[in-house]
Amino acid sequence: MRGSPWSGAACLLAATLVTGTMAAQQIDPRLDRLDAVTRSIVGALVDSAVAAALPTEPLIQRALEGATKRATGEVIVAAVRRLAQDLAHARDALGGTASPGELTAGAAALRAGASPAFLTELRRTRREPLIVPLAVLTDLVASGVPVDSAAHAVVALASRTRDADLIEFRRAVERDIALGAPPAAATAAAAGLTAQSVDVNAGARQQRPGRP
Amino acid sequence: MFDQPDDAVERMARHLRQPVRIDPALDERVMRAIATLPTPVRSTAGVAWSWLTRPRRLTLTPLGMVAAAAALAAVVLLYRRGPGPPVLPRTDTRPFQFVLVAPRATRVSLVGDFNDWDATRTPMRRVRATSSLWSTLIPLAPGRYRYSFLVDGAHWRADPAAPAARDDEFGTPSSVVTVGGS
Amino acid sequence: MGTSDAALVRRVQTGDTRAYADLVARYRDRLGRYALHMLGNREDAEEVLQDAFVRAYRSLASCDDPERFGAWLYGILVNRCRTAGARAARRAQRFVYDPTALERAPSAAPDGRTEWEDVVRWALARLPPESREAFLLKHVEDLEYEDMARLTGAGVSALKMRVKRAREQLRAILKEAERV
Repeated sequence: MRGSPWSGAACLLAATLVTGTMAAQQIDPRLDRLDAVTRSIVGALVDSAVAAALPTEPLIQRALEGATKRATGEVIVAAVRRLAQDLAHARDALGGTASPGELTAGAAALRAGASPAFLTELRRTRREPLIVPLAVLTDLVASGVPVDSAAHAVVALASRTRDADLIEFRRAVERDIALGAPPAAATAAAAGLTAQSVDVNAGARQQRPGRP
Repeated sequence: MFDQPDDAVERMARHLRQPVRIDPALDERVMRAIATLPTPVRSTAGVAWSWLTRPRRLTLTPLGMVAAAAALAAVVLLYRRGPGPPVLPRTDTRPFQFVLVAPRATRVSLVGDFNDWDATRTPMRRVRATSSLWSTLIPLAPGRYRYSFLVDGAHWRADPAAPAARDDEFGTPSSVVTVGGS
Repeated sequence: MGTSDAALVRRVQTGDTRAYADLVARYRDRLGRYALHMLGNREDAEEVLQDAFVRAYRSLASCDDPERFGAWLYGILVNRCRTAGARAARRAQRFVYDPTALERAPSAAPDGRTEWEDVVRWALARLPPESREAFLLKHVEDLEYEDMARLTGAGVSALKMRVKRAREQLRAILKEAERV
């Protein structure tokens, strides 16, 4: 049975339309807030992330942040692309089992200047999720602590310190810096105190609202 | 009292010096609590105890210092034990409170990674009708989130009480909140 | 009026427990003010205050100088506030701030005093605990630096620096609150 001469072209057209529609559907509808060109480039970056088994939510949020802050498409694309690269580097350092939250925190730590070796060491040292130690390192560096001092303290504390104690450690360093202590010295001193108090304060945690 | 003209801070101190009334029922609670305790009678043993427990200056000999250093090293080594089996991440959320002081604002929104940077999603409320404090409470799962306050729909403000987000390519300030799971 | 602290302390030390009620009533509000400003939360302040009174009673036998009972009691309270503050911080509530209490509070006075109260509480809560402690002891409790050093265990020059920094930080925080 012979088909019409148009049937092949029709199939091709249909396939193209279906593929195109599917591709359009794959772009997260939240990205509709971007202009068409930016949306398609960000959509492609998100697709690449999916293919590389990287988390896509941070990329979408970064694009939405740019849209809400009225950044140009060019700036948004650059920010998303850079974040995708950082996420890939974080995954290389933390391993394939890293959670999306760990990769996001790892990307921020790398951006702050932490070495990939620090991320790998942290993964080796700590059983619990790495989101908080990575975030604490990033925040300490943002407070002016040299990255090596921050990394040294975080790795030393991370093996058996709970998230809440690590966050308190960061606050203690910030307090001491605010009181005039040199950042590296404040970090070393607070790390010592946190290490001492971990076992003593292993009591119940609150259910009150937390604060940033 | 103040070394230099410092009106706002001095006004604040004056305000804080106003008397505070504590519920007198506290007296009764204290008396009930101490009723079960032994009377703190001052005895010869008590005087001796206070002599024994008085703070003193300690002089450490070189040998003592070596022993102290060894003890400290033992603590550190114990502390740096190797990892055991992995602990699974917890996915439960906990409420987080965000507060901004904005006396002149007519509306404030909390905008961030947790609400798709949608300025309409999380409006903040004044804690009282005429208060300067704007507050909101949202549930957050463990993670690291970037956020900003949007004041009157036009002005982006970082949270002065939180770490700053340094990886900000958009030219407006953002802050970071980290939620732990343990 | 008229019975001195020392006389009351000696009565307690000789077994007259009821005399302690007079000491509690005498110091309740003054110490309560410090605890409330330090912790920012009435419930926590009352808990710490009660704890300080009970601890003071328990160690009253070791109060060597009954004439200075007030200063001695103050020292216990300052310590308890530090412990409670650190515990609160570990509970991830960095800023001692009580929205429920604020919501329950009466609406603003026509002169805007309540709004100022909010700002004061917020600004105080933003200070690091060491700065808040030094600021309150110096500028609210009106203590001399030597007394503050005895209470806190910190040196006079360190305390002067903390008070100076607290004032600078408060000035910046209050300015920031006006600007938004």
